[in-house]
Amino acid sequence: MAQKKQSGNNYVFTAGMALVITLGMTAWVIIIILFKGLNFFWPGDLVLVDMENGDTYLGEVWDEKVSGNLEEDELQLKIGNRDLYGLDFIWLNERDIARKNYLENAVTLEREEYGNFYGFISSIHMGDTVYQNNLADFFDRAQEAHDVALSKAEQIREIQNELVELTQPSAEIQREIALVGISLEANTPVASKKVELLQKKLSEKEEAIAPQLASFNSTLEKLVVEDRNMFLEVADASGKIKKIALSSIVRFYQPNEMGVIRKSVHYIEKIWEFVADNPRESNTEGGVFPAIFGTVLMVLLMSIAVVPIGVMAAIYLNEYAPQGMVVRFIRLSVNNLAGVPSIVFGVFGLGFFVYVVGGSIDQLFFGDTLPEPTFGTGGILWASLTLALLTLPVVVVATEEGLLAVPRANKEGALALGATKWQMIRNVVLPNAMPGILTGLILAISRGAGEVAPLMITGVVKLAPSLALDWSFPFLHLDRKFMHLGFHIYDVGFQSPNVEAAKPMVYSTALLLIVIVVMLNLFAIYVRNNLRKKFKTATF
Amino acid sequence: MSENKKNETVVIETNALDFYYNPQTQALKNVNIIIPEKMVTAFIGPSGCGKSTLLRCFNRMNDLIQGSFIKGNIRIHGKDIYKRDVQLEDLRKSVGMVFQKSNPFPMSIWENVAFGPQVNGITNKAELNNIVESALVQGDLWREVKDRLHNSALDLSGGQQQRLCIARTLANKPDIILMDEPASALDPISTGKIEETIEELKKEYTIVIVTHNMQQAARISDYTAFMMLGELIERDETKKVFTNPTEKLTEDYITGRFG
Ligand SMILES: Nc1ncnc2c1ncn2[C@@H]1O[C@H](COP(=O)(O)OP(=O)(O)O)[C@@H](O)[C@H]1O
Ligand SMILES: [Mg+2]
Repeated sequence: MAQKKQSGNNYVFTAGMALVITLGMTAWVIIIILFKGLNFFWPGDLVLVDMENGDTYLGEVWDEKVSGNLEEDELQLKIGNRDLYGLDFIWLNERDIARKNYLENAVTLEREEYGNFYGFISSIHMGDTVYQNNLADFFDRAQEAHDVALSKAEQIREIQNELVELTQPSAEIQREIALVGISLEANTPVASKKVELLQKKLSEKEEAIAPQLASFNSTLEKLVVEDRNMFLEVADASGKIKKIALSSIVRFYQPNEMGVIRKSVHYIEKIWEFVADNPRESNTEGGVFPAIFGTVLMVLLMSIAVVPIGVMAAIYLNEYAPQGMVVRFIRLSVNNLAGVPSIVFGVFGLGFFVYVVGGSIDQLFFGDTLPEPTFGTGGILWASLTLALLTLPVVVVATEEGLLAVPRANKEGALALGATKWQMIRNVVLPNAMPGILTGLILAISRGAGEVAPLMITGVVKLAPSLALDWSFPFLHLDRKFMHLGFHIYDVGFQSPNVEAAKPMVYSTALLLIVIVVMLNLFAIYVRNNLRKKFKTATF
Repeated sequence: MSENKKNETVVIETNALDFYYNPQTQALKNVNIIIPEKMVTAFIGPSGCGKSTLLRCFNRMNDLIQGSFIKGNIRIHGKDIYKRDVQLEDLRKSVGMVFQKSNPFPMSIWENVAFGPQVNGITNKAELNNIVESALVQGDLWREVKDRLHNSALDLSGGQQQRLCIARTLANKPDIILMDEPASALDPISTGKIEETIEELKKEYTIVIVTHNMQQAARISDYTAFMMLGELIERDETKKVFTNPTEKLTEDYITGRFG
């Protein structure tokens, strides 16, 4: 009996389909993220819903359940006003809805706290001046009042800072006195002498700054009172009146009467706020700037650590080590290292970098602040080094490929001219292998920038009090905790008390993370292509 | 320093030289040869007979091949170059090599020529400029590239690239230049230029050249050595080898009866 020959067509088809499905799903995820992430910043219209039972709600349409049967359709409204209702969202049955109105004077107020307020402004209070909402230019006046209030709030912050600076020296002296009190020589004559001296210095200092301190304090008091007297009276959908301090409002607008252009301007402003501002409301609102900063800085530190080590390792394996079983084994191990789960690297980072290395650094250099750890706790340096370890195999493998691609003739040419091995590597091999090295860096960045698990135990936090880079000496604070976009997604999306309100933030942050990884990669690819042009003999 | 019968100074001298790529592969068998100063010695022979291997023993390029080793010895100016105390870099500086396929570095012309002096410790820019110019003049390339010294060497034509490689070797001021089929990848015109250059260079340098082209060997060399299967069959004055060889094998080869 003739057996049917096996044709490969079925397999080709299956493999092709698998590829199409994978690509399709990836594209789908990206489209969803793009759509939802970008939609978030568009100012939604406010709808006033009157129910059959007499209730009224004002808010943005958030979601709809359309079943085809009008009786069962549902509508989700974001009604905000968390301080009044407790809930941000509500599902309404379409059949219970009597009327929907889009009123021009409905206002969205973005606040520092409690999320958005949806309602109507009824009056503006500026000290003794009160404007009622029957004025023609009422909304513009409200905006002006807001600007005034914000600049006042800025003044208050400035004066507070100056106060801190002014009292800094005396606070330091007080600290010294306290230190003497708890030191070994406390209660000795020497100590009391010291304390006396310090006390004298302190009173001199305080006397010197007294007039200025008084003037600052009085200005501050005046400003605080002024600030307290600047507020809006707003009414929610049911007419309940509430006072909202103007300085606690980030911005407010009447979405229903805004045209496309004004909405677009608003949209761009919101995106800018998102990338350039600090988060508010336990990260569910405001911007993600510290997370962007932390992500980029961490990737940079990681690159600085991983590239030299990876390249040196690859050079050693390729150019110096005698080829044989040992090198083959090492190469195999390095390749397998790439498959180790990232959390394992995290645990290693915690055990080795944080506890062993960090702990030792604290003992050696920061003994005076122990047991409060400086480097002996998670921080951006340790997280970066952990990721460097994680991405090391990628860099080693890619660099080795780059080294192998360097023409033998060029290497021999250099040696034949009397170059030492190192001179040959430096002048001929490394420049030629640069594109391979950069390929490794690109892969490392792609892997490192999106990794979250190992960071969670080596120094990432949901809210870092300060950036790792600032104007205070030594400018780069490698011991500080940091924020990270990947962790931000996890935290906002799954750990926040108000998951529904945070959802759009998750999409936007995911989009941003993708954009940043793509940008870092594009930069590295750009550099690599330039190098390729320079070394066109090399084939890679 | 030994001398041969015509009172020429011997520069390279091998003594019972065996070369193994690995214990199973012997590429050179009992090679004894002398190479006189400021002469062109050509090596001919069927491909695979060990010409390149022998050449690469003279500047110890074979050291790069893991597992290879030699027996016997090679003396250059009377000194055994496989002795432990020999500085490889110094040896390769004074025994330059031009490869079969031109191999300029992906750098500018200037950087290519200055590479040797630079790795050998010359840093003075003016001095380097002088060296580069005189090397390019000797390599007969100066007129063609003097206006674009800082362009990439990879933009030169094949023949120019090979002359650049010669100039690059000359910049090290070697006393011996090894050339492994330097013109085999070039067109006849470029080959002619290279031959002219060699003609010029032999006034100052000892040249050892491997060639598969017997006319070329006849044209440019003073001595010709014929090798086969790793053995040196015959070495004599070029005229004698081509007109009246001692060995039957040599005669068969040059009359084209095989190879
Ligand atoms: N790296 C190497 N490893 C093992 N054998 C080699 C190697 N290079 C050359 N050989 C062998 O040594 C012999 C001589 O080669 P070679 O010197 O290149 O010949 P030629 O230059 O005369 O054509 C050949 O049989 C070749 O196969
Ligand atoms: Mg050869």
